[in-house]
Amino acid sequence: MMMWVTGGVLFAYVGMLGLCQGLERHYKQVWQRPCPRALRVGLRGAGWLALLVSLLLCAQAWGWAMGPVAWLGAMSLSGMLLVMLLPYWPRLAVGLAAVVPVWGMVQLFG
Amino acid sequence: MKNTFTQSMAWLHTWAGLIFGWLLFAIFVTGTLAVFDKELDHWMQPEVPATEVSQADAARRAVAYLQAHEPQAGNWGISLPTERSPGLRVSTGDRRHGGGVQLDPRTGEAIEVRDSVGGNFFFRFHFTLDLPRNWGIFVVGALALVMLAALVTGIVIHKKIFKEFFTFRPNKGQRSWLDFHNASAVLLLPFHLMITYTGLVIFMLIYIPAGVDALFEGDSRAYFNAQGNARLEQPRQLARQPGQLVDVAPLLAQAEARLGPLGGLNIRNPNTAGARIEIRPELGNRIALAKGQAMVFDGVSGELLSDVPQWRAAPLTQRVMVGLHFAQFGGYPMRWLYFICGLVSCVMIASGLVLFCVKRGRKYGNGTAQASARRWYRVAEVCNVGFISGLLLACVALLWASRVLPVELAQRESWEVRTFFGVWVLALLHAGVRPARRAWVEQLLLVAVLCIGLGALGGVGDAMRVGVVLSALVMGVLLGLVAWRVGKAVPAPIRAKAGRNVEAGA
Repeated sequence: MMMWVTGGVLFAYVGMLGLCQGLERHYKQVWQRPCPRALRVGLRGAGWLALLVSLLLCAQAWGWAMGPVAWLGAMSLSGMLLVMLLPYWPRLAVGLAAVVPVWGMVQLFG
Repeated sequence: MKNTFTQSMAWLHTWAGLIFGWLLFAIFVTGTLAVFDKELDHWMQPEVPATEVSQADAARRAVAYLQAHEPQAGNWGISLPTERSPGLRVSTGDRRHGGGVQLDPRTGEAIEVRDSVGGNFFFRFHFTLDLPRNWGIFVVGALALVMLAALVTGIVIHKKIFKEFFTFRPNKGQRSWLDFHNASAVLLLPFHLMITYTGLVIFMLIYIPAGVDALFEGDSRAYFNAQGNARLEQPRQLARQPGQLVDVAPLLAQAEARLGPLGGLNIRNPNTAGARIEIRPELGNRIALAKGQAMVFDGVSGELLSDVPQWRAAPLTQRVMVGLHFAQFGGYPMRWLYFICGLVSCVMIASGLVLFCVKRGRKYGNGTAQASARRWYRVAEVCNVGFISGLLLACVALLWASRVLPVELAQRESWEVRTFFGVWVLALLHAGVRPARRAWVEQLLLVAVLCIGLGALGGVGDAMRVGVVLSALVMGVLLGLVAWRVGKAVPAPIRAKAGRNVEAGA
C-alpha cells in the first residue's frame, strides 16, 4: 500500500508542478525566460494527466470510496509544498519531479 | 457598513475573522492534535505496555478477570488492544463514563496506571471548549458558522484566486502575509470547507431539532428506531436466572470476519441466562462512522441475535460526513494527511490574525494615532500572542503535566486541566506586559524547547511513543525556526514583520 500512497502524493505534486509551470509568471520565475506557447500547453496537459494518474493511484491504495478523499488532500498539500519551495529553491521545486522515474523503477523492479 | 458588496464582505471577513479567529485557532489546533488522540493517550500513560497479544487471548483474560472480580455486575465493558491503542481496559457500568481498570494483556492482571486526561482532552476541548457539554457544542457550532462565513467572504474578496494560485512572495512584509494567508486558504479550500461543514453536521440534531420534533413528536427513540438502529429488548426474566457464559473467542472471529478489525465488546447481564454479547468494530473500517454499531450475540448459546444495521440513505449520508470529519478511516497515511492539512489550517488562521496587526501596525502602532485607537490595537496584539503562541504553550504544558505531576496526586486529571488553562492565562498576562515582538519570541521559544524536550521525560518504550516524541521534536524545531526568524526580523520603525511567514508555512 505504501508504494501506491507514495505514488499518489508524488503524481499529485508533479501535476501541480505542471499546472504551475504552464503559467507564464512561474515559468519565468524558474527559468528567467518566457515560455513558448507549445511548451505551455504541453506542461498544462501533462499536469492534468499527472493529477489523473494520482487519482488512480490513490484509488489503488485506498479504494474508490476513500481514494478521492486522499487525492484531494494530496493535491492540496503538494500544492502548498510547491508554493513554499518556489520562491526559495525554484530549481529544487522543479527537480523533485525527478523522483517519478525513481518511483517507477522501484515499482517495476523493487 | 461599507458601500459596495465586496467592501461589506471584506469588513465582515476582517472583523469576524479577528474576534472569532482566536477561539477558532484553539479549536483547529486541538482538533489537529485530536487526530492522534490515542497515540497521545498512550504516551501520556507510560505504564500501559505495548504488547502484541491477539484480541482473542486478551478478551479471554479480560473475561477471566471480570469473572474473578465483578461476577455480579450488570454490564462488563472490554476495550480490546488495537493497532492504535495497545491497552486492555475493562469496566463495569457504562463505558462512556470512563473509569475502569487497565489490564496487562499478557497476564490479565490489573496494572496501576496514572490518571490522565490523555489525548482525549484535546478531542473534548475541540468540540466543547471545556464548557459544559451542551453549551460548548452550541458555542463551537456558532464558531463553525463564523468559520464558514469567513471562508465564503474570503472567496468573495479574493479577486485573483486563479491568477495567484501559486503565488507567494516572501520578505515583503504585509504582502507576504497576505500571500501566505491566500495560498494556504485557497490550496486547502476543499479541506477547510469539508472540515467546517462536516463539523456542523455531527451535531445537526442538536442545532436544528425541528425536523425530528415534527416527524416523531420529539420522540428521539422512535427516530433512532426508524433509522434501523432498533435496540434488542433486554430479556428481563432470563436475566434473573443463572447461566454459563459462552467462550468469546469464536464470536470475535465471526465478528471480525464480518466487520473487519474490532474495537471491543460489552457483555450485558453476564452469568445469567439472558446474557448478551455486543461486539463493536473499530471506527475506521469504512468512511461512515460506525459509532454505536455492534453485532449482538446470545451470551449462553453464542447465537447471532442481530447484525449491524444497514443505514438508510439519509442516515448513511450523515454518517459518511461525520466519518469524513472524524478521520478514523484509511489507516496512518490518511491520518497524516488529515494532520498536516489541519496544521496548514491552523497556520492559515494564525496568518490571518497576524495580518490584521501587520496591516494596522503602521497606523496605530506608534504615537501618532489616537490614544483609544492605540489601546484597541494593543488589545488585538496581546490577544494574538496569547491566543496563538499562548495556546500552543498550554497544549505542550498539558503533555508535560501528564508526565511531571506526581502519580499519586489526588484528582490528578483536574490538575492537568488546571495546568492547561493556568499556562494559557499566564501566557496572556505575559503577552500583556511585554512588547509584542519580545512576547512572540519568548513564548514561541518556550514552546519549541518544551516540544523538543518531551523526549527527555523518558518512558519511550515502543514505536508509537517514539513517534509522538519525534513528531514533537520536528514541531519544536520548526517553531524554534519561527521564533528565531521573528527575533531576527528587522525591528523597523513601522514594525514590518518581514519574512516571518517563511517557516510558518513549513
